[in-house]
Amino acid sequence: MQRRQLLRLAGAGMLSWNVPFALAGQTQRPKVIWVLLRGGMDSLHCVLPLADDDLMRQREGIVAGVADKALPLEQGFALHPAMDNMYKLYGQGELIPIVATGSGAETRSHFRAQDFIECGLPELNHDSGWLNRAVVAHQGEGLAIAHSIPVSLRGDLLAKTWFPDSLPPAEDDLYARLQGLYQDDTLLHDRLMDGLETRDKLGDMKSSKASQRFTSLADSCARLMVQADGPDCAMLEMGGWDTHNNAQFRLNRQFSELDAGIARMKRLLGTQWNNTVVMVASEFGRTVAENGTKGSDHGTGGAMFLAGGAVQGGRVMGDWPGLAKSNQFEGRDLRPTTDVRAWMAATLHQHWQLSESQLQNVFPGISPVDARLIKRV
Amino acid sequence: MQKQDLEVAIAVNRYGLGSRPGEWQAAKRDPKQWLLDQMVSPQFDPAVGNLDMAYDALAVSRDMKKQKKQMLAQGMEAEKGKNDPTKGLQRNLIRDGFERSLMTEQPFSMRMFDFFSNHFSITTGGNVLGAVGPLLEREAIAPNLFGRFEHMLLAVEQHPAMLVYLNNEKSIGPHSRMGKKKGGGLNENLAREILELHTLGVDGGYDLDDIQQLAMAISGWSVSRGRDKEPQQGFIFRQYGHEPGKREILGTSYSQQGVKQGQAVLRDLAKHPSTARFISQKMVRYFISDEPSSDLVDAMENTWMQTGGNIKAVTTTMLGHEDAWAPTLEKFKTPREFVISCLRACDVTPGSRKTARFNKQFVGTLSAMGQAPFKAGSPAGYSSDNESWTGADALMKRIDWVSQLTDRVKRDPIKVAQQTLGDSLSETTRLAVSRAESRQQGLALLLLSPEFQRR
Repeated sequence: MQRRQLLRLAGAGMLSWNVPFALAGQTQRPKVIWVLLRGGMDSLHCVLPLADDDLMRQREGIVAGVADKALPLEQGFALHPAMDNMYKLYGQGELIPIVATGSGAETRSHFRAQDFIECGLPELNHDSGWLNRAVVAHQGEGLAIAHSIPVSLRGDLLAKTWFPDSLPPAEDDLYARLQGLYQDDTLLHDRLMDGLETRDKLGDMKSSKASQRFTSLADSCARLMVQADGPDCAMLEMGGWDTHNNAQFRLNRQFSELDAGIARMKRLLGTQWNNTVVMVASEFGRTVAENGTKGSDHGTGGAMFLAGGAVQGGRVMGDWPGLAKSNQFEGRDLRPTTDVRAWMAATLHQHWQLSESQLQNVFPGISPVDARLIKRV
Repeated sequence: MQKQDLEVAIAVNRYGLGSRPGEWQAAKRDPKQWLLDQMVSPQFDPAVGNLDMAYDALAVSRDMKKQKKQMLAQGMEAEKGKNDPTKGLQRNLIRDGFERSLMTEQPFSMRMFDFFSNHFSITTGGNVLGAVGPLLEREAIAPNLFGRFEHMLLAVEQHPAMLVYLNNEKSIGPHSRMGKKKGGGLNENLAREILELHTLGVDGGYDLDDIQQLAMAISGWSVSRGRDKEPQQGFIFRQYGHEPGKREILGTSYSQQGVKQGQAVLRDLAKHPSTARFISQKMVRYFISDEPSSDLVDAMENTWMQTGGNIKAVTTTMLGHEDAWAPTLEKFKTPREFVISCLRACDVTPGSRKTARFNKQFVGTLSAMGQAPFKAGSPAGYSSDNESWTGADALMKRIDWVSQLTDRVKRDPIKVAQQTLGDSLSETTRLAVSRAESRQQGLALLLLSPEFQRR
């Protein structure tokens, strides 16, 4: 029985908060964390293709002064110098940077492309997200670090949401009476029960300094996931990637924040980290050439990351198409050579053991990448 | 329920900001006419904030930063307690807008204002946008609120706030004099969002060429910082940064010279059938339903095309259609609508001492609920879809906030119910309120009831 149902059974009277509840082995269930970078992350400045002469030729104004400090990876790639924690993960075999990935969305609109990468279907459907379909197949629970449920987690399973704030909570009696008041309003009733449950799990976390920065969201996310009956997957997001101007300075800050957030997750997940995959991707990459304002415009191909103790990392994956004008997509963007969903599908297959038919339901028409991404247990 | 009462409830809740004491009676005579009579621009006091004040504040703020740097460099401690005037200006502007919504007797006009302010969403950040950003809605949107859409569009895209926010102020035509001499180039951000978000919509039938051609048409549209050769601060057209030559956009050729070229494109975009459809549909989604009735949208689109995008006429068509008065409450109030309607229902005023903190904390409350003013974080603005505001966490925050509010205000919940919902109060809610353990709890239950949160 799900905890939510238990709470519901507690009825409209006073809630009993300490329902004894434990699922054996729950803490060892494999976890997935999905991090969406909203705004179009400049992948060419993140995983820098230093061996490609066109990098300096086409975006000197962004790259100069950064390239020589970049942290070397294999195959002539290098990680942005602000990402030293993620570089350590790479060294420890817990990080795979994947280059030249695309979302399959034929659009350079942020909003359309984000919906696409969250939904994961060939036709957009705002009510069905890939992570929801995946966690339903896995028979697990999902959590969004957000005010309301993002597209990725919409669908058959009602995911929980949580976001930091600083308002003191109301009296227990008010919550109990609201359950009665919402008896004919299923939506409000379900959301109330979920809200109460999440709050119960967090305990005194609420009173700690509530910050909405990515590092502290990552912090809260990890704390929620290590709970005895914590969710099997979570989604969080980070904005600020739409670097049309002044990209060098802005991206330095963005990468530091992302890097610190991932490091925080590893620390707080503890041994659970060994059983966790963090997938990081953005809706698209950016133009190869810099624009007139020391930034770049919306592009197509990008990069993604798999991180976590469960990942068989320490390598750069993906096929590099080259940055020369003749190799660019529509004469301006990095050409995507693999689909983000193909990597995600392979991860779900190897980490959650989703079957071929389950994967076809999560990502219809997508064949998983044929490569080992997750350590064999 | 009497039909009359239902229409009043729809007028004050679906199209207004929830009723203050007395408003129900005003709307009751003729609910539809009561709305139609509100179609006038909200008047804002320019003394609260204007472009000159913003630029003055910016200059002071820059000096303060310079001074602080120098003092630190000399090993002296920087003076404390001096506030950045751009932040003060932004605070005053937000407070003024909030108080206007709180007290207005034309709540429908304010809802329309909020709609277009969000349609042309700005996210403030950094000094320049902090000072100039909140002025866009007052200077470019309010005066054109019930006029022709092309006038609003032209005012918005030539306002310093939008030009800076979407990086057009430094977009330079590569073959312009400046482009040839100093290099630099186009930045297509504003052009893309004009087509995708401000006019045609993402399915409006344009391609990458149209975006690039529009970027060229508006190259040189910039902002003067008031130095030497350009003493007048604000929008400026720089011929020497403008890409020379003809433009071809959506199959139409534009051979105009200078600033007129971009203006001509915008005029055509404002009257384009895709724009008519996109904005009519968005209005219906905002006011009435996440799944707009195509009959209603068709009617509005027709009016748009017949009147060349007259917003007042399109709005009149909407209110005159029977689907606008459908009895089901399909929309869930956004945090802004919810907070303001609660405060109005409780008769909170800007001056009331007991509730001063709720007014003061307006921005903090909305940011906890995920809808801080000028912080949507993307030029698409905040979504009006139910799904965006009905998460478990969002509901918990409403409950906590309402419980704080109702601890402070002393109102008879039954009276508040009559004045805000009339006969549309459900039996379940009426019972819950009457059985509450205290007046405060009864009021909290009322404000959190499904029929108060839905509209």
